[in-house]
Amino acid sequence: MATYVARNGIGENQRRVEDFRFLTGHGHYIDDMKLENQAYGMVLRSPEAHADIKSIDATEALALDGVLLVVTGEDWKAAGYGTIPTKSGVRKFKDGSDLKEPPHHAIAIDRVRYVGQPVALVVAESLDACRDAMELIEVDYESLPAVSHQSEAIKDGAPQIWDDIPNNICLDFELGDEDAQKKAFEDADHVITLELINNRVTATPIEPRGALADYDAESGKFTLWNASQNIHANRDTIADTVLKIGKENLHHIAPDVGGGFGGKNGVYPEPILILHAAREIKRPVKWVNDRSESFLSDTHGRDQVSTVQLALDNDGTFRGLRTETVGNLGAFCGTVGPFTPTGGSSRTQGGPFRFDGIYYTAIAPFTNTCPLDPYRGAGRPEGSYQMDRIIDYAAAKLGMDPIELRRKNLIPPSDLPMKSPMGLDIDCGNFPEVFEKTIEISDRAGFEKRKEASEAKGLKRGFGVCMYLECTGGGPKEEAKVTFRDDGKVELSVGTASTGMGHETVFAQLLSGHLGIAMEDVVFRQSDTDATDIGGGHGGSRGLEVGGSAVTQTSRQIIEVGKKIAAHRFDVDAGEIEFEEGRFHVPGTNHTMTIRDAIDSQNDPDSLPDDLEPGCMNISSVFERGIISIPNGGHACEVEVDPETGTVKVDGYWVVDDFGTIVNKMLADGQVMGGIAQGLGQALMENIHYDESGQLVTGSLMDYALPRADDMPRMVIDYYEDAPTEKNLLGVKGAGEAGCVGAPPAIVNAVCDALKEYGVHHIDMPLTPEKVWQAIRDAKAAG
Amino acid sequence: MYDFGIKNPTSVDDVKTALGESDDGQFLAGGQTLIPVLKQRLAMPSDLISLARVDGLSGISAGGDSISVKAMTCHAEVAANADIKSAIPALAKLAGGIGDPHVRNRGTIGGSVANNDPAADYPAAVLGLGATVVTSEREIEADNFFTGMFDTALNEGELITEISFPIPEAAGYIKFPNPATRYALVAVMVAKFGNTVRVAVTGAGPCVFRVAEMEQALTASFSPDSIKDGMVPADDLNNDIHASREYRAHLIGVLARRAVAEANG
Repeated sequence: MATYVARNGIGENQRRVEDFRFLTGHGHYIDDMKLENQAYGMVLRSPEAHADIKSIDATEALALDGVLLVVTGEDWKAAGYGTIPTKSGVRKFKDGSDLKEPPHHAIAIDRVRYVGQPVALVVAESLDACRDAMELIEVDYESLPAVSHQSEAIKDGAPQIWDDIPNNICLDFELGDEDAQKKAFEDADHVITLELINNRVTATPIEPRGALADYDAESGKFTLWNASQNIHANRDTIADTVLKIGKENLHHIAPDVGGGFGGKNGVYPEPILILHAAREIKRPVKWVNDRSESFLSDTHGRDQVSTVQLALDNDGTFRGLRTETVGNLGAFCGTVGPFTPTGGSSRTQGGPFRFDGIYYTAIAPFTNTCPLDPYRGAGRPEGSYQMDRIIDYAAAKLGMDPIELRRKNLIPPSDLPMKSPMGLDIDCGNFPEVFEKTIEISDRAGFEKRKEASEAKGLKRGFGVCMYLECTGGGPKEEAKVTFRDDGKVELSVGTASTGMGHETVFAQLLSGHLGIAMEDVVFRQSDTDATDIGGGHGGSRGLEVGGSAVTQTSRQIIEVGKKIAAHRFDVDAGEIEFEEGRFHVPGTNHTMTIRDAIDSQNDPDSLPDDLEPGCMNISSVFERGIISIPNGGHACEVEVDPETGTVKVDGYWVVDDFGTIVNKMLADGQVMGGIAQGLGQALMENIHYDESGQLVTGSLMDYALPRADDMPRMVIDYYEDAPTEKNLLGVKGAGEAGCVGAPPAIVNAVCDALKEYGVHHIDMPLTPEKVWQAIRDAKAAG
Repeated sequence: MYDFGIKNPTSVDDVKTALGESDDGQFLAGGQTLIPVLKQRLAMPSDLISLARVDGLSGISAGGDSISVKAMTCHAEVAANADIKSAIPALAKLAGGIGDPHVRNRGTIGGSVANNDPAADYPAAVLGLGATVVTSEREIEADNFFTGMFDTALNEGELITEISFPIPEAAGYIKFPNPATRYALVAVMVAKFGNTVRVAVTGAGPCVFRVAEMEQALTASFSPDSIKDGMVPADDLNNDIHASREYRAHLIGVLARRAVAEANG
């Protein structure tokens, strides 16, 4: 293989270096690990949605051969461990009082509040011994009334999940200018109202959650390998807040992680339980969820019920927007759970459109369901769904053209930079141009012909569009550390966490490009509390924006040190040295020094100026983002609906995204495609369904429908690259979540367009064949 | 899984002996249902009697007016068989639409028919085509074979050895897949033999069933228009999160029309 040196690291379609490992079975996941003397843990989960635990009898289980330990809530009480806290960014009710945070212990104490909540941890010599033991543990439950739907939970007289939390309300919230919104509504010619459901979904990563805990009795130190997206922050919570062992005593590592999508962000009970067990039995303990447990216990996403109102004039001018949301939290506060339906869903209200006034308000109640936490997009998909659905709904109700409505109301580039009514700092972009480009590539001219062809087959064809605006998030700081090793390799450690999206490629590409070193010499490390001091992990599309900027910043500092070394050798001022394509040189002379020369010199004191120490090119720096970026873009899609069966086929898909600078188009395409797949799944088939008593009905892939490769349309993906942001060093705007921000409204809009002749203007997701068929039937019956 | 023993008989007679020697033995064909059930600890057989090494249980042979498929023949073989593709293309299509390539290369026709999953494809082929189920003890007509949900006319220890499909004049099979599993949410097999027509529906009820009213209408005129809505009442159909009984009743009509159209080419 030829040595590859990325020329400048930006804009090159470098192929993913991690894929060979992943695709040939050489990935290194939790379940591949086995430590000497390792024991196995399994979690006994509550079959009850809401019940008092009268007693737990593990006597028979403990008597079984190979069973080492059974941990229950009684042990937890005795140990005096702390609770798992929420780090929600919104912490106050509208009236200024504090968010209601019930105690979230890693194991149920005295009462269970959702099906799947850990009730006992069994540790044994083998998984089969664990299973045998689980069957012998007798738990005496006394059932209590349960409530699974958020709209029911807030009613007076609803089952009370926490004694001291009236109407089960954890938090309420508002953002925007209600007076301005009300005035806009009064002034407008029309106010259109739509109630919609953002359906509850789960991440279903291909690798279930799992962890391996080890305890060294001599040093008192723990090691936790964990399929987690968020190693540093979760170490602090687990070690300092919950187990109270001190974070310096917990080495937290994520090996390869097979997908996360937000579902592996939070602090979960099971890794904490096995850390406790490892210390109790002084042996390593491994636990890995099976798929059914994943459905029960991975935090879920979305699950919002909203009333959206759009005020507009006869000429189509948008005046005001009001959204009222009730967002399900599950039985406890997730790690950032309460933020999603409140702050997270509020910021992008109004999208890239002009309004006189916007007001958002939300209530976030508890229910007897698994806790909710971020799921790819975490609030922005909900916002864009509300915005782009109400536009199409209003267009249908008022006989307007949804494309023209968007065209008329997009914020023009001349208004930028601006502060949005929801407080977002929109610095750059060109929404009208992105929108027009989206329409242009989607071949509107050919639509009528395709529609005729569909009609000839008895199918209804529809076109839908979405013009989304979102924002990034996640931790604002990131560290990138570069160590030049004696073997010639360059170790690059970054505190971000790739769960498969390609950091190993793109960060090496950037470092290679900045420094002019071979990409194959870069050894990438991530998700290890020993590799970097800080780490923001994965979430909010932050990887390239914050992590990539840190790599860039560290690279620049390395070059500055290299210049000093070169200046010392050539006896000139460092200011005279220029660096280009891996070489330091003095312009107008033949003095050149390669970066490799500089690296080789860094440990030789004679080669260094007085102000540099050996090892001076091994640099770590922390980049801090000031303001989040504003990715935006247009999605367009065509669907074919079979009106006889209700089946929806997405038959074409076009996207133009403004992600600022595109560093690696192949990786960006991958993010967009994956996001569209998730959005398509949510729009057409995925649904976590609890019955009224709090039992999970969709507890396996037999009942929870995921999209497959043949459900996906051909996708045309393009980028608008003329508006790089100055908010970070690369000019990038996070790409990781945008696909599933844009896809659900684009797809639902297209279906409603296809069905408009029947008078069907809204169907709640997922648009399963039966729901589509039923909507047509109801519309026909209504005449 | 719970612990179990495994036996590998090589003849149909040995199968009987092996079963007799087991406390609670169970046949293992392709294992596409049984293995997941065992993994979930939903069954606890003392022994699995593997049929993999039994002589003469695999293969397809075409006669003049029928095609015989041995019990351990996997779905992929049925889907690719030239005789079946030319004589009963609807059967090849049905087999090619079961599960995924892994399932089709492990799962067997005998296993599927003996299991009689309410959402499985093969029961619709066996009943719709009026096949004969040949066992270690006797021959059973399709109409007498499927007796209820996961229930068949097979006696304890009786082993399916082959299924004999009469070659129809025309047949069509249309499946509406469950979005999650891609099992049949509803699927309809329509077959025409001279003056008789058979219509079999799987996925919609607790067990595969025939629709007499459709058969009569199609016998009168083998055309999609003969199928009217409401020929199958919704009352006894399955009702679950994937489809209401009303929707299933509706789909039966739609799919039957499409199956007839397919049969008519």
